[in-house]
Amino acid sequence: MKKLYLRIERCSGCKRCELACMDEHRDIDADKPRTRIFVESINERPVPVVCRHCKDALCVSACMAGCMQKDQNSGIVSNQGYLQKCVGCWMCIMACPYGVISPSDNGAMVDNASFAQALKCDLCPKKDTPACVSACPNEVIELRDIQE
Amino acid sequence: MRFVIIGNSAAGVNAAQELRNADKDAQITIVSSEKDMAYSRCLISRFLDGRLKADGLYFKTRNFYHNYNIKPLLGKTALSLDRPAKAVVMADGEKLPYDKLLLAVGAGPIRPKVPGLELPGIFNFYSLEDARRIMKYVKDKLVKEAVVVGAGFVGLEAAYALCKAGIKVTVVERCAQILPAQFDHISSEIIREDLESLGIEIILDESLTSVNGESAVESVTIGEDTDIACSLVIFASGVRPNVLLASEAKLNISKGIVVDEFLNTGDADIFAAGDCIEIEDAVTGKRQPSATWFNAVLQGKFAALNMRGEAKRYSGAIGIQNSVQFHRLAAISFGMSQIMDEDLDYEVISHYNKEQKIYKKLVLKDNLLRGMIFTGDILKAGFYAALIREKIDVGAYKHKLLEPDFSYAYFRKENFGQVGSYAVTPSCWQSPSWFAERSLCMGIK
Ligand SMILES: Cc1cc2nc3c(=O)[nH]c(=O)nc-3n(C[C@H](O)[C@H](O)[C@H](O)COP(=O)(O)OP(=O)(O)OC[C@H]3O[C@@H](n4cnc5c(N)ncnc54)[C@H](O)[C@@H]3O)c2cc1C
Repeated sequence: MKKLYLRIERCSGCKRCELACMDEHRDIDADKPRTRIFVESINERPVPVVCRHCKDALCVSACMAGCMQKDQNSGIVSNQGYLQKCVGCWMCIMACPYGVISPSDNGAMVDNASFAQALKCDLCPKKDTPACVSACPNEVIELRDIQE
Repeated sequence: MRFVIIGNSAAGVNAAQELRNADKDAQITIVSSEKDMAYSRCLISRFLDGRLKADGLYFKTRNFYHNYNIKPLLGKTALSLDRPAKAVVMADGEKLPYDKLLLAVGAGPIRPKVPGLELPGIFNFYSLEDARRIMKYVKDKLVKEAVVVGAGFVGLEAAYALCKAGIKVTVVERCAQILPAQFDHISSEIIREDLESLGIEIILDESLTSVNGESAVESVTIGEDTDIACSLVIFASGVRPNVLLASEAKLNISKGIVVDEFLNTGDADIFAAGDCIEIEDAVTGKRQPSATWFNAVLQGKFAALNMRGEAKRYSGAIGIQNSVQFHRLAAISFGMSQIMDEDLDYEVISHYNKEQKIYKKLVLKDNLLRGMIFTGDILKAGFYAALIREKIDVGAYKHKLLEPDFSYAYFRKENFGQVGSYAVTPSCWQSPSWFAERSLCMGIK
């Protein structure tokens, strides 16, 4: 199962990972790009926080639409690409202990055209290497294959 | 092994799936009074206002029963349990023998006893079929005005959906605020404004006295003598765990079906999960009905493991865990959310920006977070909820808890049972002059 692994002492807080993440997901985010990796800080030292694509993920159990699923082969936890569609109920946001799921802009929900979406890391399925990993100039983020 | 599951919803379906994942050969049967394949009850308001079609409500896929080799008996009601014979007796007389049985029968709507309940035009809002009936009635009778009784979750979802369908909606609530079980006064006012901005009228502190009409609903009376004209009434005045099957079978009942930490009812072969059971709330320590989708799913999964004899302890149930977004405003409440400043044993840290409609409140006791409400900005809500659920000491961070830079980063050594995602940090990172030495520390030449 693929997971991101972090060496925080190498992080300079440049946030290029966040920008690359926003750019990579432009098609889902439409007008308001959002990052799925978060460069947080502890006493002004940067610490990226990422999705762990958990085993027995709480976001999956909390999802009342059934769209949040863990792919049995890749291990990727995502609410996109399934028959069930995200309706923006935010149960996953309430369930995620790492705080790495965020709501898309509310506009979509209000004008009735579609639902606002819960946005989270999908490990960039269209790429061999996730955008954040490629964008990091300091090799903070590594993609590892781990036995769960 | 023959597994029989009564209830084709969050708890029952997830239990069935888990059973099949673990046991390729077992016979698994799911029984439900409802005809529809497994759908999410939580989404019926989005069906009522037309934003979702029925198949958009299925939380598993259409082929679920086939793919998982589960026998669905839908549209069939279980009448009683024959415990000595280990069989479920169905309303049509059929007997379903089981080795292990799961009661995942949920909770059903209750109504206040007022005159006029027999009139056409009165509905519950519990099932997809209810939503279909309401839609048909609205269409047939050209309903223009509706009254929703109860401003809990379900009532407000119904009100929002009817309003979206162009109907003038009045909500009547006997408590002094909307969402009286989940939110505090300030947050409920913010959410109320959001709903009222759509034209929904909300009447607080008033009870329904009667439903009136000749041959169908024409009005309701609230309080002493206030009449509200309407041709549709939706009762959303609460639910109660469905305990009849269990109580008639002499299983232990209190506010819901009583189960131990293995979700067992006391009969070694009968388990129960979801809205029909009573839980011990991990934050308050009080016993209360389970009542949420999230709890039901987790309980279903744990019950399945225990039905297979794996002795997996289920713990950490939280009674209050809600996320809402009716209109523009998102809000989440978790744990002891309703504690206010004046509750002496607790400490409340809050932040309220009236203009931006952002309100955040944390409730603490003995350096542990006990409850939270986030309104208008729900980012990282799950992180705070995890601190509550896992009872993590936050004493060292009290001054920082609601600062924008407070995050999981501070607790990165806490993995919440998952594989870690951080390498061990070298000591140079802790040094006060880290920034000056960072290239050395980073190992960059
Ligand atoms: C409008 C609405 C909105 C909601 N929104 C939310 C939300 O946003 N978040 C949240 O956490 N929760 C929400 N809930 C609550 C949530 O739907 C429940 O917590 C969840 O469905 C519980 O699942 P369950 O499997 O325990 O039982 P249920 O979903 O109640 O299903 C029980 C099933 O058992 C069947 N059954 C009962 N007795 C028998 C019998 N004797 N024979 C055969 N079949 C039987 C019933 O017909 C039913 O199909 C909402 C509920 C409603 C009605």
